[in-house]
Amino acid sequence: MYQSKWRIFTNHTILILGALFMIMPVWIAFASSTHTREFIFQNGLQFWPGGHMIDNYGAILFDPSATKGRVTALEMLFNSMVLGLGFAIGKVIISMMAAYAIVYFRFKLAVPLFWVIFSTLLLPLEVRIVPSYEVVANLGMLNTYTGLILPLIASATGTFFFRQFYRSVPDELLEAARLDGAGPIRFFIDILVPLSVTMIAAIFIIMFVVGWNQYLWPLLMTTDDQLYTIVIGIKQVYNSLYEGGQIPQFPKAFALTIMATIPPVLVVVIFQRMFIKGLVETEK
Amino acid sequence: MATVTLNQAEKTYPNGFKAIHGIDLAIEDGEFTVLVGPSGCGKSTLLRMIAGLESISSGEISIDGKVVNKVAPADRDIAMVFQNYALYPHMNNFDNMAYGLRNRGYSKADIESKVREAARILQLEDHLDRKPRQLSGGQRQRVAMGRAIVRQPKVFLFDEPLSNLDAKLRVDMRLEIKNLQQRLGITSVYVTHDQVEAMTLADRLIVMNGGIAEQIGTPIDIYEKPATRFVAGFIGSPAMNFLDGVISDDGKHVTVGDGVMLDIDHNIAGGRAVVAGIRPEHLSIAQAGQGTINATVRMVESLGAETLVYLDFGSKADNVTLRLQGTHNFSKNDALGLTVPADKIHLFDTESGKRL
Repeated sequence: MYQSKWRIFTNHTILILGALFMIMPVWIAFASSTHTREFIFQNGLQFWPGGHMIDNYGAILFDPSATKGRVTALEMLFNSMVLGLGFAIGKVIISMMAAYAIVYFRFKLAVPLFWVIFSTLLLPLEVRIVPSYEVVANLGMLNTYTGLILPLIASATGTFFFRQFYRSVPDELLEAARLDGAGPIRFFIDILVPLSVTMIAAIFIIMFVVGWNQYLWPLLMTTDDQLYTIVIGIKQVYNSLYEGGQIPQFPKAFALTIMATIPPVLVVVIFQRMFIKGLVETEK
Repeated sequence: MATVTLNQAEKTYPNGFKAIHGIDLAIEDGEFTVLVGPSGCGKSTLLRMIAGLESISSGEISIDGKVVNKVAPADRDIAMVFQNYALYPHMNNFDNMAYGLRNRGYSKADIESKVREAARILQLEDHLDRKPRQLSGGQRQRVAMGRAIVRQPKVFLFDEPLSNLDAKLRVDMRLEIKNLQQRLGITSVYVTHDQVEAMTLADRLIVMNGGIAEQIGTPIDIYEKPATRFVAGFIGSPAMNFLDGVISDDGKHVTVGDGVMLDIDHNIAGGRAVVAGIRPEHLSIAQAGQGTINATVRMVESLGAETLVYLDFGSKADNVTLRLQGTHNFSKNDALGLTVPADKIHLFDTESGKRL
């Protein structure tokens, strides 16, 4: 399509302004995380980086006292990673299998069951959080990774997307596989899963970020500092800002925030490539 | 190598729709059988019943003398080629062909040699490492056939395998399929709605309509002696001309249109209402004013090798198609006199459509 120079100019101006609007707060948080707390306390937020990046990040990563708990940022990052990965992988697996059953097996309750699953979209975690907590507590899974992840991995959205995808896979592939002697499990593993790679990548990205950003459930579930995720860690650091009459640890809080944003960004950047590659190459 | 026998095979869908009404059929070892019919006639359903992809509601289907009604598709020792190829898009062509063998537990060396052999026969050796989407339609079709032949099945089933190809390729692949089948001598059942494919490929042709086998026979038998009006109209292009008529009292003529008497070669009692069928290629132009059928030209299609002339005939303006060799110059509303030999007139019962 032909675009006039003027039009290219305005388009880019809007895009650049939009990008700056999004990036600026992150940049200011990063720049502010590289000064001493006294400097920030006296001079406010900073636009240019200072000289204490290594001190601040090193302290928060490896020294438990810096976060005022008994856990380092590194351990919190690890916990968040476990939650994000477990959450995303669990959701992908569970929803793929649920959708497989619904689409490929003709049992009487397939349609009503699908709508039951779908209607759980109306019941997010916050609605069922008290009974869920009760169940997990009774199972003795408080303060465990299992308890953190398991109650969250059923996914109506994922099931719905995989269902739509499977329905678009031509029936002849199933028939060809049946003639080739592939049973239901072989068909699923050999044909359907490889065909779904794009879909898996897309859902994985979304779910990883959602899992990483979980706040309420880990907050309820984890009373032991050792299991804190980084999102909760940020909250704890900010809480500690107002305690004890010391100079608030703004730079460390910012450092923790910056670190909390890096893994989801990486996941999106890396899987985005796969995702686009898959989109370009896969053909049904 | 195997025979396929259908004994009163029927298919009724859960919603009560009866797709196949009791078909009896015995396909001999090495025979190339073609199922042809309009869409919705049940030909694909019948093929899928043989494949085991559709259940059999009643009756029996046996392959090589063994009833297979309850046998899973994979265990029937058949292979099928689908209309849209149904290749696994994420596997390369080698794996596409090898997949069935792997599932059956063949050794690696065995698979390698069988796939290489099939690729050699189908001239796919250079394409084994590629994915199906990197191939042209004709090559994909060959991979699909390769997937079928590596297993050396008892029966080949083809479900309209050529209908996604362009016209020229279709002719090439048609010859290739026929050639391959004759070379391998594997019993084959082929479904198509294209009568040229049907006529050229078949050792035996089955014309289906509404879930019934209207006629079973060699292609030429069916062309020359169609058993029903439906078969007569379906096989042959352009389609046979049908004229409503009455047998004259002496039984030697049929009266069509506005009292036009055509000689016939049948033994039928006079006065009976019939449908006279005449193939467009059996009509010829008579000397001016001499023809028995006088019709006016409505439209002309010149195809080069032949000319199709569409005419209106009689006061009811029956449509008659005439097929002539070579090129001819006619214009609209020209009057033509046509003749037809008595032995080229087919008569069908008005009610049942059966051949008389």
